[in-house]
Amino acid sequence: MDDQDRNRDRVLAGALADCAAGRSGGIDRLLAVEGAQMRGVARRMLGRDDLADEAVQDAMVLIWRKAAQQAGGAGSARGWIYAVLRNRCLTILRDGARLASLPPDDLTRLQEARQDLIPDEGWRLLAGPGRLGDCLQALDDHSRRAILMAHVAGFSHGEISARQGVPLGTTKSWIRRGLASLKECLS
Amino acid sequence: MTGADRAELTALAGDYALGLMSETEAALFETLMHRDPALAAEVAMLNDRLLPLDLSAPPAALPEGFAERVRARLRAAETGRDPAPGAWAGTEAATQGAANLSWAPWRRRAGLAAALALGVVLGLLGAVQRSVPQPLVVAVLLDDQGQPRAVIEDYGNDTAQIRFVSDVEVPPGTSIEAWTLPSQELGPVSLGVLEAARPSLLRGPDLPRPADAQLYEITLEPLGGSPTGRPTGPIIAKGLAAAQGL
Repeated sequence: MDDQDRNRDRVLAGALADCAAGRSGGIDRLLAVEGAQMRGVARRMLGRDDLADEAVQDAMVLIWRKAAQQAGGAGSARGWIYAVLRNRCLTILRDGARLASLPPDDLTRLQEARQDLIPDEGWRLLAGPGRLGDCLQALDDHSRRAILMAHVAGFSHGEISARQGVPLGTTKSWIRRGLASLKECLS
Repeated sequence: MTGADRAELTALAGDYALGLMSETEAALFETLMHRDPALAAEVAMLNDRLLPLDLSAPPAALPEGFAERVRARLRAAETGRDPAPGAWAGTEAATQGAANLSWAPWRRRAGLAAALALGVVLGLLGAVQRSVPQPLVVAVLLDDQGQPRAVIEDYGNDTAQIRFVSDVEVPPGTSIEAWTLPSQELGPVSLGVLEAARPSLLRGPDLPRPADAQLYEITLEPLGGSPTGRPTGPIIAKGLAAAQGL
């Protein structure tokens, strides 16, 4: 964590403390600092502005409610905020009834776009400039791709195994093995 | 807890952090994280390590008035006009689930079996801190959609603990009441009355030692609890206890 990250996390932790204490200014500050990035993450995974906005709103409501619980927890405020957001995106993605309300063409486009999120070449852009990219590079292609499909595009075990053309158990073990290597490399 | 259990928990933390669990599994895993700070720390560590993957998404400016819309939703939620998605009260399912006073027969055997299985898993995986008292049985209470709503851990010394794993709406003028069925002869016995869906310690009457597959449930009752001493309101969730072999 560099100084800029530390400062940011102090601001975010303060905003979460406000939320925990019921001061809605915490919401404004969280959105001022992270709102655009949060919407970007949700839009990448969900492929539509309306769904992305719904996900960010849901996430903010949850963050407001759970901020007190998170206070004093391990890990950074920022890491937690994006974990809450990704969970909301997944809930929307896996809500068959919610997606059935979309026009069929949109739904098809959405699924195809998610597929394209994880390119065979050029995936490194997804990992940013830090060490995560190097450590992902060191994984075997199957494990790396499966981990990125889950985290970035929100695919389930079943969807990943179907797209990789291997049994569910194989996908699961690729992911577990890959994540264990990744943790070791990053520690 | 054995090393193999610990390794399995660590692997599950990875599945959770990558979003690979179903909503039900994730809700149960969150109850485990509350009991096990090391598990919560493992998930937080993974979230932080993988955060660059979130930060690589191209930012998208929020539409005008977004913060105001969020605040309006929070206000609405506080005044009860906007029950959380999936909140149980007021749904059609709730009125269909009116309490069956005879407590039998159970039409949703499959759902109860699922709850029993979850209780076994939860107990196995949750038996982490040997220094703290361990419950004799764990019951995961599912609603009629099969979603986990609450977990009851019964310690057998007339003390049980209840935690909620998803939102339960308690309309004004009502209370939640927790029940168990130690035997058909005794019938349903109240474990305690809750004013809100908060984690609570339940101190029930002197009862036989809780058994495997004993039924637990929570119902919505008039404020202060059932006037008859038996469940009268709709069932919020129910489940069979899994004995913890410790």
